[in-house]
Amino acid sequence: MADNQFGSSADGVSRRKFIAATGALGTMAAAGCLGSANESSDTDPLTADGSSTVYPITNDADSLWNGNPPADDQEYWGPGQYGIDTDQNLADYWAGLYGFEPTEERSVPPFSTQVALSHSGTGVEGVINERVDIGDASSTAESILGSDHEELDNIVDHVVAVDGQPIVVSREIHDAGVTQVTGDELRAIYKGELTNWSELGGPDKEIYSVGRAEDSGTDTAFRSNLYGDPEEPIDPDTRKGQNQQVATLVEQNDNAIAYIALAFVEPDGATPPIGLELDGTLYEYGTNLGAKEYPLSRDLHCYTYDGTDKRESAFLNMILSEFGQTNFVEPNNYFKLPPERREEELSKLADQA
Amino acid sequence: MSQAASQTSRRTLSLVRTAMDLDRPSLFLVTAQILLIIGTFAGFVVQSTLTMLFLYGFLLAAAVGWVTRQALTAKVVTFLMTAATLSTLGLIGVFLILEAIPVVRHAGLDLIWPFGSNEWSSTQGQFSLVPMIWGTLLTTIVAIVIAAPFGVAGALFISEIAPDWLREIVKPAVELLAGVPSIVYGFIGFTIINPYVGNLLSINPGALFAIGLVIGFMALPTVISVAEDALSAVPESMKDGSMAMGATDWQTMKSVSIPTAFSGISAAVLLGVGRAIGETMAATVMISHSRRLPKPELYNAFDSTETLTTLIAASYGHVTPGELFWSALFAAGVLLMVIVTGLGIVSELVEQRMHRKLRGGQ
Repeated sequence: MADNQFGSSADGVSRRKFIAATGALGTMAAAGCLGSANESSDTDPLTADGSSTVYPITNDADSLWNGNPPADDQEYWGPGQYGIDTDQNLADYWAGLYGFEPTEERSVPPFSTQVALSHSGTGVEGVINERVDIGDASSTAESILGSDHEELDNIVDHVVAVDGQPIVVSREIHDAGVTQVTGDELRAIYKGELTNWSELGGPDKEIYSVGRAEDSGTDTAFRSNLYGDPEEPIDPDTRKGQNQQVATLVEQNDNAIAYIALAFVEPDGATPPIGLELDGTLYEYGTNLGAKEYPLSRDLHCYTYDGTDKRESAFLNMILSEFGQTNFVEPNNYFKLPPERREEELSKLADQA
Repeated sequence: MSQAASQTSRRTLSLVRTAMDLDRPSLFLVTAQILLIIGTFAGFVVQSTLTMLFLYGFLLAAAVGWVTRQALTAKVVTFLMTAATLSTLGLIGVFLILEAIPVVRHAGLDLIWPFGSNEWSSTQGQFSLVPMIWGTLLTTIVAIVIAAPFGVAGALFISEIAPDWLREIVKPAVELLAGVPSIVYGFIGFTIINPYVGNLLSINPGALFAIGLVIGFMALPTVISVAEDALSAVPESMKDGSMAMGATDWQTMKSVSIPTAFSGISAAVLLGVGRAIGETMAATVMISHSRRLPKPELYNAFDSTETLTTLIAASYGHVTPGELFWSALFAAGVLLMVIVTGLGIVSELVEQRMHRKLRGGQ
């Protein structure tokens, strides 16, 4: 009797388990099929990833692109304002230049775009490994990968804007009268040789120097701009990965100095800018910080791999246009590319249809 | 001892007998399962397209086996699962060491030798993990200075002092604490403790002391629950004996419970140390990542530097794979693994010793 009972219950279990197992098998088989069907097509989403500095530009472009507003939407598109003669929706027009079929529908672009946020190195690495289509970087791939990297010849550099890096200090330091530093003083601060604000005419407070993540695009650009050598070692008191974190630190402390993307400067807020005097010229926020000669400036790059295909060209062409520069670059406090540089960048894109 | 040995030999015998007694279809099923799963693994390693085919084959063989020879299949599958767990562990170790080789070749012993330059500067090709090891050590010491007394006190209260109804509430509450995600502690540390300690002592944010404080509290639940287990394992008879001699509750705790459970309590503290060393998230958001030894004195826990875990967490995103910097991150991983495994083994040994002692005492 006991044996019988045991036997029947074991049977029951095994049947149930069998059904569960077959179900699991079927699911995995289906997943396997789906997984293998990833041939790239022209309507796959265009993906971008990389630097937090380039992110605001590509992200704003991404938002409008996916919104695909109609031509009569003056706030978000209005092509007439930029000397463009079309009545197509935004993404329809820019994609149409490269032969994509218009959808004529709001929120449905001919192909969608996705922009992720990480670091310059991740963006360049992602584009080389073909994980993403566009790699955002705030320093050149050459300085990130090393000038002898084998993949350097396979990636195309598209400069979309110029970023000036102002020097900011904590509110308390600015209010105490430190409104400018010289290049030599700045070099000494980041070398750990100048450690008290009183040496700069400020209060008797330790200097808290904020740097960026070691070897990140911003860090490399800073060292190469200020010391003339991207491999110059510096010794900041802290290193942070993102502009947001740097801004928070400058705000939370009363003795901080930092270099930060233009977008995070608040002249009347917690991150006031100070002037930088180099080779006899004083560069100040709001006057000549945008000058081409400002030493702490750098190009913002969008890298593509193995040439630039039509999807990538359509998107980058929009950013490089007067419309893109006005709507994505300027509002984010970056400098627009001068016309001759824009011509040069446009010539790297695929041929229009 | 001999009991364990005879059990092992009995199990081996039974395994051999099982293999000998198999009929042909069973033998076929077992062999197929083992070969297919090995094939899946090999296919995965060499990135073959056949991997999925092998996996489906194995699942099919396991399914057929489950229906026709359930007991046998259960034995084989549980064995394969255990083997998979162990080999994953082994492969992680091998991978970490392989990836760390370039930086060890480049920097040699300077990587961990504390009497050299101790400079970390990736652009200059100087990779010394000494500042990170020192940072880890200082934060861990602070953490354990917090976690050990609080943890042992908590354990003593729960197991010996608290009335039953209170224990019913406090014990699960402590275990719940262990479930709070570390980023929550880190965020509190970043937004509240860092500025508070900074203002109070006029120091820069990211003090190793503040980080040690936070991870000390994070290690508390581990210390409390393991120490509490050790204290509860002290036989009632020993305590009763003490009470019968006229000792008070506190005298019994002090002279009987704690000394008897001492090795268990040390194991609890060691596990807490392991938890503190391995803690990443909370430290990453709070620390300065400056990668130099604390100033002005080495033992200044109010300056900030970097720990082994935060080095990896702060760098992996923008370091290019294949560079020496990348390899140095793996070297940090190897060090962490060695340290934490060592601590785990020591605490295991200590615990075993206590159980032996208690058995011997009875």
